Amino acid sequence: MQDSAWGWLIITYLFLAGAGSGAFIAAVACDLLAPDWSKTLARAGSLVSGPLVVIGTLCLVLDLEAGFWQPWRQIYMVNNLRSMISWGFIILSIFIPIALVYAAALNEITFVGKLAQKYITIIEIIGSIFAVATATYTGVLIAVVNGVPFWNTPLMPVLFLASAISTGLAAAMIVAAIIDVNTIKTLSNFALGHVIFLSVEALVLMLFVFMSLTRSTEAAASAGMLISGMLSPYFWGLVVILGLVVPFILSVFEFLEYGQMPKSLVVGADILVLIGGMSIRALIVFSGTPPQII
Amino acid sequence: MPRYGIAIDSTKCVGCHSCRVACQNQNSLESNETFNWIKHRDRGRYPSYYKEFIPLQCNHCENAPCQRVCPTGATYTSKEGVVLVNPKTCVGCKYCMEACPYKMRIIDHRRGIVEKCRLCIELVRDGGTPACVTTCPTQVRIFGDLDDPKSAVSIFIAKTGAQPLRPDLGTIPKIFYKRS
Repeated sequence: MQDSAWGWLIITYLFLAGAGSGAFIAAVACDLLAPDWSKTLARAGSLVSGPLVVIGTLCLVLDLEAGFWQPWRQIYMVNNLRSMISWGFIILSIFIPIALVYAAALNEITFVGKLAQKYITIIEIIGSIFAVATATYTGVLIAVVNGVPFWNTPLMPVLFLASAISTGLAAAMIVAAIIDVNTIKTLSNFALGHVIFLSVEALVLMLFVFMSLTRSTEAAASAGMLISGMLSPYFWGLVVILGLVVPFILSVFEFLEYGQMPKSLVVGADILVLIGGMSIRALIVFSGTPPQII
Repeated sequence: MPRYGIAIDSTKCVGCHSCRVACQNQNSLESNETFNWIKHRDRGRYPSYYKEFIPLQCNHCENAPCQRVCPTGATYTSKEGVVLVNPKTCVGCKYCMEACPYKMRIIDHRRGIVEKCRLCIELVRDGGTPACVTTCPTQVRIFGDLDDPKSAVSIFIAKTGAQPLRPDLGTIPKIFYKRS
């Protein structure tokens, strides 16, 4: 009789894979849709995307036991296409190189970047598909786990995708502010992105948590833990207030005041979005309760 | 080919944990590792209060979630219907431990792989009986072929109407319980 077999390494992976793929989507959106002033954000998003997913995948490998000490065992990991880990293995194997090549292309790093620039549209289209796949599959990964009824809902991948896009945009904006301080003013254009995706995330989160109250006894126990139980201070404090409400309000002002907001508040809102994204994954994992069997 | 299963008469269990020790002995497990557990539950109210002991182990589900989620295919069902782990291909990702609704799998940190009740398949193939079954002083467990209507386990299930734990979970377990 074991409690949850997964801990912080898996939580960190879920968060980093989401933020990394979200940053890729944010970069592609900027590069394709926005005019010249947003190139810094596209560059920042592409720079941060690959490394975040790589660090996340390292966490995943560190969590393996025999597969970590005897890495050649990992070739077996595509054996079962009914397993979401096999799909994850395939998706990450394709997405990580694309994300790294995309970073090279947008930032003109070495000859690889120069070569990749010729095929930038193809990289953006295929990369976006695999970025969405990465963000979504992490939700499916835990949604199909029979051992935790709380997770068994199609809303899970939707929540993970929404959270991936908002955390990815936040990560891209922070890096954009670092690589080019003058860009802070133009970042206000993207505050609208935060307003939209934080709203979607909040809506899906509300549906997920409150509809769990009637799904099954175990799901209700888990949801209860978040709403008014042991984990409720973290849920309301870290996820709802710090992770959603405060950055939402800051982003509204950021958008309305357009570039007049202090730098610390712009970057602060993004850091809060990242804290919220990490916390929601940790709380979803820790609130998972197995069925009552006896 | 037989389809092995166990019927457990929990009304006979006194919670002595002999099955656990026999299992550890048979499978050379450390003292803190085990493939079977005894959980207890309070029943009734004073003065007719009693404690029910429920021996637990892998249910060897026909529709095993652990096998479905295993990325390497290390978890498989033997021809006798026993759910086993191939120690050579398990990577220790622990997805199966999350997927098992009964939480009957453990991680062996020494070998880095996931382990579980094997229904003492080596013993059984040699004509024996699982260690937890033979060692039980009150004969709580009855082992045998579920497909043979004349086996002791089939007769016991037919006579008592023993049921798996949480059949509503849909995994079709092969361990049956007579609870009262």
